[in-house]
Amino acid sequence: MVMMIVFSVMFLISLIAVASNPSPYFAALGLMIGAGVGCGMLTQFGMTFLSMILFLIYLGGMLVVFAYSAALAAEPYPSAWGSLEVFSYVVGYLMLVVVMWMLLVNDFGAFDEIEGCVMSVRRYVGVSEMYNAGGYMLLVAGWVLLVALLVVLELTRGFGRGCLRAV
Amino acid sequence: MSPYILFVMLTSLGLGTTLTFTSSHWLLAWMGLEINTLAIIPLMTNKHHPRAVEAATKYFLTQAAAAAILLFASIYNAWYSGQWFIQDMSSPVSTLMTLAIAIKLGIAPMHFWLPEVMQGISINTGLILVTWQKLAPLALLMQISHNIKPELLIILGLMSTIIGGWGGLNQTQIRKIMAYSSIAHLGWIISILHFMPALAMVNLFIYLIMTITMFMTFNLLNSPTINTLAVNWSKSPILAATSALALLSLGGLPPLSGFMPKWLIIQELTNQELAPTATLLALSALLSLFFYLRLSYSLSLTIMPNTHPQTLNWNMKITTPLPLSLMMMMTLTMLPITPTIISLF
Repeated sequence: MVMMIVFSVMFLISLIAVASNPSPYFAALGLMIGAGVGCGMLTQFGMTFLSMILFLIYLGGMLVVFAYSAALAAEPYPSAWGSLEVFSYVVGYLMLVVVMWMLLVNDFGAFDEIEGCVMSVRRYVGVSEMYNAGGYMLLVAGWVLLVALLVVLELTRGFGRGCLRAV
Repeated sequence: MSPYILFVMLTSLGLGTTLTFTSSHWLLAWMGLEINTLAIIPLMTNKHHPRAVEAATKYFLTQAAAAAILLFASIYNAWYSGQWFIQDMSSPVSTLMTLAIAIKLGIAPMHFWLPEVMQGISINTGLILVTWQKLAPLALLMQISHNIKPELLIILGLMSTIIGGWGGLNQTQIRKIMAYSSIAHLGWIISILHFMPALAMVNLFIYLIMTITMFMTFNLLNSPTINTLAVNWSKSPILAATSALALLSLGGLPPLSGFMPKWLIIQELTNQELAPTATLLALSALLSLFFYLRLSYSLSLTIMPNTHPQTLNWNMKITTPLPLSLMMMMTLTMLPITPTIISLF
């Protein structure tokens, strides 16, 4: 239950980090931490496979695409959390969270039901069997993904190219 | 290309083919074919000019479409028969599977991508395309060969030899000629596949040796067209003499080793009561023989009337003579040991 409280608090802090509008890189960093601890929360509830999928697809897929497109529209001096305009937002949201906590949170009963949620694991076992039954072919599939990355990089190599054009 | 990338691509090429060789599950075989397709694309666009990019794009599109059809056929087979074992493909979809493998190999009437792709890439990558990339699909085809209707393979084989022969007649570019020669030889290989797969493997073995010889020769001589073949007599007289014979071996003339597979295939087809097929195959081999003869004519049977200041070219160095000399020796002299070669397969 301690882990659950820690995860929830970190989740709130990462949401504050995202919402306080620093440059996109730092918002993505906050989102990464939030998704990471969100996966931890799911694991505490017993849904381990779902948390692995969340990590892979959300962070490894969508966030990587977002990072590349943010890198295309980069600014040389981004404003981080230490700068004044961002820090005022952080303090504002923190005070908002504290005030809402004191007003609305009455009991901690939700955290006591963690140990009873093992039934949900059985629904996802069939999907994870797909990753288990292949054996070492999962390793080959990982190698193929790396080769695909290298192929794309090699085909679009160079400062003046950047795409598979015929010139 | 950076040596690390080259190493990764060549390793993945080896991995893909061996994966398909050693698999008994259709999904794994498909994975091996896709790895091969993916890994050869940067090798094709190594020299980045428009023709190479176009060739790589055409190659990728055709091979990806063929792999998708192969995956569909294997999934249909799994649904129909309940198992994924490669050699138990007895469902009605074996025809579709054969056609998918035929697209991968460049067998007529799905051969249209091969001459253009071969023309756009360098001659060493063309060598990989025509030899190594043929091994994995042929391994699959051999494993399902007893389940395919024999009429399909005979028709594909006949069309390939005829189109390979006729298509190569009007070509002046060496790489396109070698592409059509590959189509014709694959036609011979698949025409005997249903009746005696061992003979198909003998033919594949001899074809690989002959093709590697010719590609290595053309790589050394650095001549992309028939016109530029004519000045090669002064570069290396031995190479000019032996490659003329190697071209005749490709054409299937005795007493060179290219005659061995043709002889054995015609004999086996006749034993299977398919004498008209054997006759048509032999007659279409004459078409291929004509353009091989044209190549050897320019290469060594005539001396073109351009003046040369010296008789021997001083800067033609063969730094690694062993592979070419080994392959050349094997493509010229292996006919007397035919029983040994047959016993190997």
